[in-house]
Amino acid sequence: MTQKLLDVENLTMRFGGLLAIDDLSFSASKDQITSIIGPNGAGKTTVFNCLTGFYKATAGSMFLNKENERLNLKKFSDFKVAQKAGVARTFQNIRLFPQMSVLENLMVAQHNKLMNASGFTILGLFNAPSFVKKEKEAVEISKYWLDIIGLTHRADDDAGDLPYGDQRKLEIVRAMCINPHLLCLDEPAAGLNAKESAELNKLLLFINKEKKTGILLIEHDMSVVMEISDHVVVLNYGKKIFQGSAKETKNSPAVIEAYLGTEE
Amino acid sequence: MRKIFLVSSIKDSLFTGLIALALFGPIVGLRTVAKNEVLVVSPKWLIVLVIVIVCALGRFLTNLYIYNRDQKYGIQSTIGKSITNFLDTKGTQIALSAIIFSVIFPFLPFTDRYLMDIAIMMLTYIMLGWGLNIVIGLAGLLDLGYVAFYAVGAYSYALFAIHFGWSFWICLPIAGIFAAMFGVLLGFPVLRLRGDYLAIVTLAFGEMIRILLLNWYQLTKGPDGLTGIPRPSFFGLPFKSFPDEGEQTFHTFFGLEYSPMQRIIFLYYLILVLALITNLFTIKIRRLPIGRAWEALREDEIACKSLGVNPRNTKLTAFAIGAMFGGFAGSFFATRQAFISPESFTFIESAIIVAIVVLGGMGSQTGVVLATVFLIGLIEVFRDFESYRMIAFGGAMVLIMIFRPRGILATRKPTITLHKKEVTK
Repeated sequence: MTQKLLDVENLTMRFGGLLAIDDLSFSASKDQITSIIGPNGAGKTTVFNCLTGFYKATAGSMFLNKENERLNLKKFSDFKVAQKAGVARTFQNIRLFPQMSVLENLMVAQHNKLMNASGFTILGLFNAPSFVKKEKEAVEISKYWLDIIGLTHRADDDAGDLPYGDQRKLEIVRAMCINPHLLCLDEPAAGLNAKESAELNKLLLFINKEKKTGILLIEHDMSVVMEISDHVVVLNYGKKIFQGSAKETKNSPAVIEAYLGTEE
Repeated sequence: MRKIFLVSSIKDSLFTGLIALALFGPIVGLRTVAKNEVLVVSPKWLIVLVIVIVCALGRFLTNLYIYNRDQKYGIQSTIGKSITNFLDTKGTQIALSAIIFSVIFPFLPFTDRYLMDIAIMMLTYIMLGWGLNIVIGLAGLLDLGYVAFYAVGAYSYALFAIHFGWSFWICLPIAGIFAAMFGVLLGFPVLRLRGDYLAIVTLAFGEMIRILLLNWYQLTKGPDGLTGIPRPSFFGLPFKSFPDEGEQTFHTFFGLEYSPMQRIIFLYYLILVLALITNLFTIKIRRLPIGRAWEALREDEIACKSLGVNPRNTKLTAFAIGAMFGGFAGSFFATRQAFISPESFTFIESAIIVAIVVLGGMGSQTGVVLATVFLIGLIEVFRDFESYRMIAFGGAMVLIMIFRPRGILATRKPTITLHKKEVTK
């Protein structure tokens, strides 16, 4: 059995009297797209916020397995999850830097690498050749991703001026620019039309299969979930009620009950 | 359609007149005068009437021409567009000619002592504006206590120069470092604050520094101020009319006639160089990762965190670097005045600097210059009409807010481009 990329064990998150996540365990592997689905308020985004350091989990542990180390994500506070552990995320309501250009958005994502190359700004002030070289590389990486989502011609426009679907894709490749091990996507297909949704599927499959980056996906759009996810985790009221392949999930009575209710 | 609009805008402007009457009636209309050792109210209704009419008429005209949805009459966008376009296409030439003009300015035939003093003052404000632009314009941290760093710079320069007798060029970086330290000191407690809350805390910080300076008598001489701050010398050559025995001064060294203008001109070039360094530094740092991180932080802090940008360090550097330039400007102020007291570092100074940055268009370097020339120039023009200065100041702000609500120059250029930018819009 291949080692899992992410192991979530007995994760619990409590807000005062509200138990948002209740003893949740699941795992995600590097070469799979893992979807987390569930009705509204099931605690899906809370799982993401715990994983990416925005919330501190009440109990339980989350391990990220890299080639030769096992990191406990709980030990990293907010920005360090992205910086040190390499877990990137996108947001339910798009969070780009709207008044910065598309290219600048991707450059900010490569901040830590460039910051080191610029000798914490001092070398950069004097245009040190090592920094100039690194910056060129960063632009190349940005260009590579822009080519993939077909936005190269709009690289110098403000990100806020892009159409909605392009903003979604830009946010995803921006997260890819930090070169993550695990990419967490919070409802990437929300508000997309059928054509954009199909393009998104292609992009996600490319990231997962070609770029070998594990994807964790929260999604309401079942067409996306069923089409691309290899593994589905179903949450309801903070509890895992089912996990399995997409097909199994579709036919699971527990899942149907959670979504549609039971017949009295 | 048009008629209904006209009626509603007349109603609206009459209402504006009413508000103006309620405001200016008591403030301007009722003035107390001492007559035969008794205070008597002497009403000034005529001037109130004029103000009310101006307000109502102004409101009517703005309704008609600016807030009118019917773009046929909209002059706001056309003026804005032509200014922006002009500056976009001719930006480099304008900047170059402005620099050349400021370099030859002291030697122009009409330049006298008075103009030089104003120019020095303007350059000081421009430098402060550029410094604060890093904090407000780039990092988006609304800092209302910027004058504190100006004060810290001025006092640390003065104290080191008086007590240790160190020269300007040694004290200048020390003052900058001290101010930067205070920037970090302010930065730590306000890391989690944004917007209005941040503004209030920074405002309090500015007042705290001023009150500290006022009360720490042993160190700062409190309200008496520090006197006898050494004047700057030209790389060791002092500006003195009567040199001591065997002492080289600026005019003897260069074989010139002594003139008090020599020092003024030197001070002018000093602040010009300091201001230009601030400008070049800001332009450069905007294109570096840290500058981009500042702007990203202004746009969306949560997204920054998700990309692994350290918000704490990024904010603190913005505070520290902004404060450092404030400190440099402060030490220039100290050496120019030769006397500093807490009086010079009141909140109104912070307010003027913030006004310069905001009116100039947040983040725009040229905007700071235009706003400074406009605001400080206006204050100077109205110097003879002391009591109307603030009205003129306020009126100017209202005009800018009507015509350019996002500042005189509100366009932002990307810090890095993939394609060669063709400037045709």
